[in-house]
Amino acid sequence: MRSTPLIQRLFPGTASETRTGSASALQRLISRPEFGPFVLLVIEIVVFTLLSPAFLSPGNISNSLTFTSELGMIALAMTLLMTSGEFDLSVGSVFGFAPIVMWTLYNTGTTSLEVGFVVALLISLVIGYANGIFVTRLKIPSFLVTLGMLLVVRGTALYITSGFPQRTWRAESPLIDVIVGDFNIGSYRIYMSLLWFILFAVIFGYILTRSKAGNWIQASGGNPSAALARGVRVMRTKMALFMLSSLMAAYAGITSSIRVSAANPNSGDGYELEVIAMVVIGGTALSGGRGTIIGTVLGVLILRMMRNGIVLIGVPGLAYNIFIGAIILGMMALHSWLERRHHVGV
Amino acid sequence: MTGELVRMERINKFYGRVQALKDVTFTVRENEIVGLLGDNGAGKSTLIKILSGAVAATSGDIYFKGQKVTIRDTTDAIRLGIETIYQDSALVPHLSIARNLFLGREPIKGAPFLGNMDQEKMNEVARQLLKQVGITKDIPPTTPISSLSGGERQAVAIARALYFRSDLIILDEPTNNLGVEETQGVLRFVRNARDSGHSCIFIAHNIYHVFQVVDRIVVLRRGKVVADDIDPKKTTIEEVEKIITGLAEQPVA
Repeated sequence: MRSTPLIQRLFPGTASETRTGSASALQRLISRPEFGPFVLLVIEIVVFTLLSPAFLSPGNISNSLTFTSELGMIALAMTLLMTSGEFDLSVGSVFGFAPIVMWTLYNTGTTSLEVGFVVALLISLVIGYANGIFVTRLKIPSFLVTLGMLLVVRGTALYITSGFPQRTWRAESPLIDVIVGDFNIGSYRIYMSLLWFILFAVIFGYILTRSKAGNWIQASGGNPSAALARGVRVMRTKMALFMLSSLMAAYAGITSSIRVSAANPNSGDGYELEVIAMVVIGGTALSGGRGTIIGTVLGVLILRMMRNGIVLIGVPGLAYNIFIGAIILGMMALHSWLERRHHVGV
Repeated sequence: MTGELVRMERINKFYGRVQALKDVTFTVRENEIVGLLGDNGAGKSTLIKILSGAVAATSGDIYFKGQKVTIRDTTDAIRLGIETIYQDSALVPHLSIARNLFLGREPIKGAPFLGNMDQEKMNEVARQLLKQVGITKDIPPTTPISSLSGGERQAVAIARALYFRSDLIILDEPTNNLGVEETQGVLRFVRNARDSGHSCIFIAHNIYHVFQVVDRIVVLRRGKVVADDIDPKKTTIEEVEKIITGLAEQPVA
C-alpha cells in the first residue's frame, strides 16, 4: 500500500505529482515515446560517420533512402493497425504478390500496365478485407489469421509464376515515372518513392493524431469494450486498417519491382518482421492503444541505417541480425522503463 | 415529490437454474440519488447490469420517462441517457481527458470527410466540465487518463455523463480502492451531478459512503427487494445493516 503523497493531502480529491502539465518542457520532451528512438538515431549517425566518412556521402544517402521508403510505407500502415490492437504478418507476401499480378497481366498482354496496377491494388484490398473478416467476425487472433494469409498469398505467387521472376523492363508508362521516377537535387539522386513516403507519413500522422479516425484507432486498441460502448465502430475501424495495410504493402511491392526491374515471387520474404520491429522500436505498443508515426519514421531510419552502416564499416552483413535483435531488446527495455517511470505513483 | 425517471417492474433473472432476481420492482425518481445496498450475491450487480444493457432480464419491463423501453446492449442504454460508471473500465488509458470525453462523438471542424477534430473546443469544454464536477486543481485536458488518480478518473467519467446529458448515472462501487480524500471528492462529484439535474444510482460496499450522499436507500437480499424507501436522515447505519443481513424484517423508520 502506497502512502498518500503530500500534494494529494493538500489538494484532496485530485492530484498526482507525475502529471506532464507540471513538468518542464525538457521533461515533457524526454517523456515522449519518440525521444528514445531519436537519441538512438543520432548516436547511430554519429558513430557511423566517425567510423566511415562514406556514410554521409550523397551517393550513400540516396541509396539508403530509396529502399527505406519502400519498407517505410508498409511500416506507416502497420503503425495504425498495431495502434488499433492488431498486426499483419501477410505484408511481406503481399509485397511480393502484387507486382506479380501487375506484371503478369501486362506481360501476357491481358491488360495495360495501368489497369494491371489497379487490379493488383484491388486484389490487395480483398486480401486485407479477408484478414479483417477473419479477425473481427470470427474472432481469430490476427497472428494466426495473417500467418495463414502469408502462406496463401506467397503460395499463390509461386504457383502462378512457377517460381520464376516476371519481366518488367519493357514497360513504358508515365505511371512508372510517377511511382518511382528519379531526379537529381545537387548531387543527391532522389526517387519519387521517397516523396510518396513523406506524403504518406504526413497523411498518416494527421490521421492518427488529429482526426476522429485516429481517436477511434487508439480507442479500439486501448480499451475496445469502452470504445464500443461509446459508439465507436471498432470492427469497421480494424477492417479498414487491415485493408490499408495490404494496400500499402502492395504499393510498396510494385514500387520495388519497378526500381529493381524484377518481380520476384519470393521478394518481401521476412519483411513483416522487420516492419513490425521498425514500428515497435519507434515506440508503438505491440499490445495496441498507443502509436506514433514520427516514432515509426525514426524506427525505419534506425534499422535501415544500421544495415547500411555496418556494411560500410566492414562488419560482415551476415552479422546484421545480431545488431537488429540487440536494438529491439534494448529499445523495449528502454520503453518499459520510461513507461514505469512515467506512471510512478499512479 | 418529483416524477419517476426509471421504473423496473417485476424483473426476474435466472442464471441457469439459479434465480438472481425475484420479482424486483425498482424505481429512481428525477433528481434523486438512490443508494442500492445488499450483501454479496444479493442481486445488486445483476439489477444494474440489466439497466445498463450488459445482461438481459429473463422477464419484466423497464420504463424510462414513462415509456416502455428495450435495452439490448450498452449502446442502447447510453442512447437513452443511462450512463454506467465502473472503476476504470469506461475510459481509454492512453487517450487524453478531452479525447475520452468526446470519444465516439468528436466535434469536427472544416470539411467533414477530413475528420479534423476540433481540439480547441474539446479542450475548452473539458476544462469547464472538470471545474463543474468539482475538480479544484488545474489539470490540463490533454493529460492522458493513465496518469490520473482513481478519483480523477471517476470525475472524468461523471463529467462525460454530465456533458452528454445522461439523465441517469449509475455508479458501481465508485469508491473502491480510493483513499479518504479521493472518496470525498467522488461523493462531491455525485452531489454536484444531482444538483445539476441528474439522477444517480449509487452502489457501494461501504455503507458509510452511501449514507453520506444518497437521498433514499433500497436494500436487496437474496434477489428480493426487502426495503425500498429508507431515508438515511431518519435511520441509523445499524438499522440498515440489520436489514441487509436479515436480522430485521422491516425498516424501523
